[in-house]
Amino acid sequence: MKPVFLPRSKEELWDLLSRYPDAMVYAGGTDLLVRLRKGILDPKVLVCLERIDSLKSVEDQGDRFFVGACATHARLLAEPVIGRLYPVLFQALSQLGSPHIRNMGTIGGNIVTASPAGDTLPPLYVLSARVLISGREESREVPIKDFIIGPGRTGLRSGEIIEGVRIEKMQPYNLAVFEKIGQRKALSISIVSLAALLKISESGIVEKARFAWGSVGPTIVVSPEAESFLVGKRLEEGYLKEAATFARRAASPIDDVRASASYRRLVAGNLLFRLEGHLKENHLKAEQPDLPWKDQA
Amino acid sequence: MKIRFCINGKDLEIETRFDRRVIDLLREDLGLTGPKESCGSGECGSCVVIVDGETRLSCLMLAAQLEGRRVTTIEGISSPEGLHPIQEAFVEHGAVQCGFCTPGMVLTSIDLLSRNSDPTRKEIRDAISGNLCRCTGYQKIVDAVEDFSRKNREDAQT
Amino acid sequence: MSYSMKKISLEIGKSIPRFDAFAKVTGKEKYASDFWSPDMLWAGVKRAGVPHARIRGIKTDEAISIPGVLSVLTSRDVKGTNRQGVVRKDQPVLADDRVRHCGDPVALVVAKDRETLAMALSAIELDLEPLQAVFDPEKALEQGAPLVHERNLERNLLLKGSLETGKGEAAFEECDETVEAEFRLPHQEHAYLETEAGWAILRDGVLEITASTQSPFRDRYEMAEAIGFDMHRVRIIAPYCGGAFGGKDGITVQSLLGLAALNNPGRPVKMWWSREESILASAKRHPARLYYKLGAKKDGAFHALSARVYFDTGPYDHLGGAVMALGLEHSGGPYRIPNANLKAWSVFTNNPIGGPFRGFGVTQANAAMEQMVDLMAKRVGISPLDIRLKNALRRGDRNPAGVTLTGSTGIGECLKKIPASRLWQERETWKKAAPLYKKRGAGLASAMQGMGYGPLIPDTANAKIELNRDGRFRVFCGVVDMGQGNASTYLQIAGEILNQDMSGVELVLPDTARTLPSGSSSASRTTFTYGNALIKASKILKQRLLEKAADLLMAKGSEEMDIVPGCVRHMPSGKEMPLSALAGILSEAERTSVARYRTPSAKESPASDPLLTLHGIPHIIFSYAAHAAFVEIDTLTGRIEVKCYLAITDCGRILNPQAFEQQIHGGIAQGLGYALCEELKVDHGMILTPDLGTYIIPTSMDLPDMESSAVELHEENGPFGLKGAGEIAVNGPYPAVANAIADACGIRILEGPMTAERVLGALNALQRGEAQ
Repeated sequence: MKPVFLPRSKEELWDLLSRYPDAMVYAGGTDLLVRLRKGILDPKVLVCLERIDSLKSVEDQGDRFFVGACATHARLLAEPVIGRLYPVLFQALSQLGSPHIRNMGTIGGNIVTASPAGDTLPPLYVLSARVLISGREESREVPIKDFIIGPGRTGLRSGEIIEGVRIEKMQPYNLAVFEKIGQRKALSISIVSLAALLKISESGIVEKARFAWGSVGPTIVVSPEAESFLVGKRLEEGYLKEAATFARRAASPIDDVRASASYRRLVAGNLLFRLEGHLKENHLKAEQPDLPWKDQA
Repeated sequence: MKIRFCINGKDLEIETRFDRRVIDLLREDLGLTGPKESCGSGECGSCVVIVDGETRLSCLMLAAQLEGRRVTTIEGISSPEGLHPIQEAFVEHGAVQCGFCTPGMVLTSIDLLSRNSDPTRKEIRDAISGNLCRCTGYQKIVDAVEDFSRKNREDAQT
Repeated sequence: MSYSMKKISLEIGKSIPRFDAFAKVTGKEKYASDFWSPDMLWAGVKRAGVPHARIRGIKTDEAISIPGVLSVLTSRDVKGTNRQGVVRKDQPVLADDRVRHCGDPVALVVAKDRETLAMALSAIELDLEPLQAVFDPEKALEQGAPLVHERNLERNLLLKGSLETGKGEAAFEECDETVEAEFRLPHQEHAYLETEAGWAILRDGVLEITASTQSPFRDRYEMAEAIGFDMHRVRIIAPYCGGAFGGKDGITVQSLLGLAALNNPGRPVKMWWSREESILASAKRHPARLYYKLGAKKDGAFHALSARVYFDTGPYDHLGGAVMALGLEHSGGPYRIPNANLKAWSVFTNNPIGGPFRGFGVTQANAAMEQMVDLMAKRVGISPLDIRLKNALRRGDRNPAGVTLTGSTGIGECLKKIPASRLWQERETWKKAAPLYKKRGAGLASAMQGMGYGPLIPDTANAKIELNRDGRFRVFCGVVDMGQGNASTYLQIAGEILNQDMSGVELVLPDTARTLPSGSSSASRTTFTYGNALIKASKILKQRLLEKAADLLMAKGSEEMDIVPGCVRHMPSGKEMPLSALAGILSEAERTSVARYRTPSAKESPASDPLLTLHGIPHIIFSYAAHAAFVEIDTLTGRIEVKCYLAITDCGRILNPQAFEQQIHGGIAQGLGYALCEELKVDHGMILTPDLGTYIIPTSMDLPDMESSAVELHEENGPFGLKGAGEIAVNGPYPAVANAIADACGIRILEGPMTAERVLGALNALQRGEAQ
């Protein structure tokens, strides 16, 4: 039998972690308990973070928002500020797993699992989120792209947890799109996903672009070439075709049971073509800073 | 070790292992076999229970996590007087075939309707998208939930 | 109770809520997997893990020494034949000298709890000498291929069959147009939500097994022989299944549980496969390779058909011969084709086991044939609907297998209703309105499904009905309700004949000690066969009750009497006798009625090969359907979305429209899964999609709203004119979707399922072809 602890404060947590350095920490359990069942992991001690309230908060911290690591996906979807300021994240959360998984799983869990298919990661990349990491002694903040090192690997050190993420409030974009391609529409693991943030001028010219792809490399894939290529251009098929070529070049996907590497690479580029349609659907609202996202499904 | 929680309206203190899965605790220790296990890894929704007003996958939860919680299983939905109206809707609309997904479907529908009294068919489909059903093709389940919510609103108006 | 089953009248033709829904919706229904008691033992299996090997040794010492482990059993502990199977008994309870697929059971452990069980299973060491294996059903038939069964006279062949009508292949010379294509279809997993489960106990010399099964009476005999126990001291109880679809037609846990219980007398033993074990060890829809050639005259009249179909049956028969035979018989679809040469093979490999699955071989054949029909329509330049209408079978025609259709034949009626649907009428407008990067198409498919076991295996049912002392009628149901609702329909039948509402009838579920043998829950036969037997039994009982009541009320005769809910009434005087009072006077024998029914079989015999007759060719009663799928294809990703679905069915008269629609919806849902996303990936015999996270079945977001209607032709042999509805719907979706994709963008995906990746690949190939 494994002891399972549910600390109620960070102090209690630090005590537990120093007492049981091998303890495995979890929040929603939607990933860890699956791996325990498969026998991939066999920790001696389990520590569940679900009762530490300070890890679940969503706080206005002036020029940025703090999202607690143990906030569930459902909680974030219900938080008006997420839909208003970070529609790209909202869209990703609403397609993550299933309603039950969203009731249990947390954003911190999604980050620390560091799967290339983690649905919140591409949005957090394009939003330039910073991960707040805490240990007993000190806290540090790391850009998400530096925090995630490889599939299942992060910069988390022993005795540390993710406390949350910080995201700038000011997101100077007026088109936000998240698209996930899976084998089905719910309960699905992405084969390719794309998070895109763009600033489009009134006359339809791209002023800024951020793209991040999931499931097409060992970690989230970005393409500064595709981004800078599109700046100054319209979202038209010809330009998007070239941007797609940059995107495919940036991708380094693998074959797995869900799809082949070549399909992933192809679609990673193809998804950019969709932006033209999204812009047309949204063009009337393009000037508003708080762009309401369009329902994807 | 002892865990205290409220199950289907009754306070309970039970001696169990903290790392016991909630689904096993319910089905074996408490004899509540309404929650089913079909995949053991959160992919099917057969084991859904309601914890403090939200659905949970009881196969991905450990007994220790129940401490102080209010848990409702399918057994806590109907009363001695009769079925819960959503259960009636499931029966009436033919939303039940083999019945193995049904407890999870019913609880998930109740959870949806507690947050959204007027769901569209698409919202209903979204709400039950974590509950696999292999018999019905889902349509009659959607019909049942839709009809129930419509009747509920009509009742509220009159 | 605001909504009670008591108020529900039972009339044939009326939508009636299912009797079983009440207990299921409250979670009270006890499935085979729900049994638990504190003194219960757990049984589990060590499986091979390799596709083909000789067993050199099984080291069990460490496992048996673990505290809490009660038995570790191997084939040496099996006292009987150690062979199971419905036709050919070739599947060991525990592998003796060889393992033939990764899921083969090698050792059985009984332990005090699941943790101990898991520990013991991992402590067993298998010493396996790998053998050359074969995974390709066509290569398996070649000279020099490794043999799956050493004593197999014909190289890896379980069964082959051929049917020839008219001039056969020679008739292609007389055709104006010929189309050819090859198709590949994957394994389909049943994915019933209740994985294989049951429990057993040996007490007072009786071995009692409660299992999630479709075939309790056959299990009893099969299991008893395999484990060497007196069949008459075996009792099998079959609760409602949490889904089965053919996957529980045959032994799953039964023999292993029997063996575990025999070795631990007096203790209940439970076995419940995990999802992963279920996917590893259970039978699946056979993968198939289909080579088709269809010839027609200029006007689109079909003239010649050649079909060669290979079914990969894995290492064991498991009804694989019968599945092949039904596929062969249906390989020409519901059309008049005067000349046909049809061939099929069921081949042993070291892949997972192929077995019965809703559609039973027809699903694969129809997936190919219906695409051929569209290919020909395009070739001769007439519409897919017109070519189907032109060639559709009519009553009195011979079908492509050469059998004269003497019963109701509604395929033409089904097809004629397609244009009446608004979906179909507006399809061109709908297609033109496709959004950017999307293409839309509509596709048709016909389907047919034979009912029953065929000519040789007696397709019989034995119904029993009793008037209880409390005045209620009790139906002893001998055929399993695996979720399809047949048990509820039996109550409706009894209620109709005996004029009772739902409170006046009750059910005894299949139990070899209480109910009578009525065959398996399969082959679209349950309501047809058992229903007919029950009609007989109910009428006999009714007549007896009327006569007895007439005697007791001093009436002139039974013609003056009738049954009304709760009592028998003397109509001229209005005098009544409560059924409970009547029951009190009658002996048990008088209160009980038993009747047998055997489903008719064809008088013709198109197959000269007696083995084909044994395996079920030919059938005489068929259900039919016409389906239409409306799909939208995303050209950027290849993703297919089925937007709406239309199904028109001829399964005779509908006894309960709601129950009928349930079957149609469920069949379509499984068929769409087969078409779009369900693919058991197998590499060198190893399953790469071992769970429900990788084997993808549709969620509520992946299926469209479905429109279902019926053409209610009367089947003269059917109970109240009914034909079976359980399987027909699963045969339409694959080809309907394939034809819709072709309609939308001119591509044909020849290997299933038609995933986004395959669609995008075909779209790109098409584009490259055009560019050249």
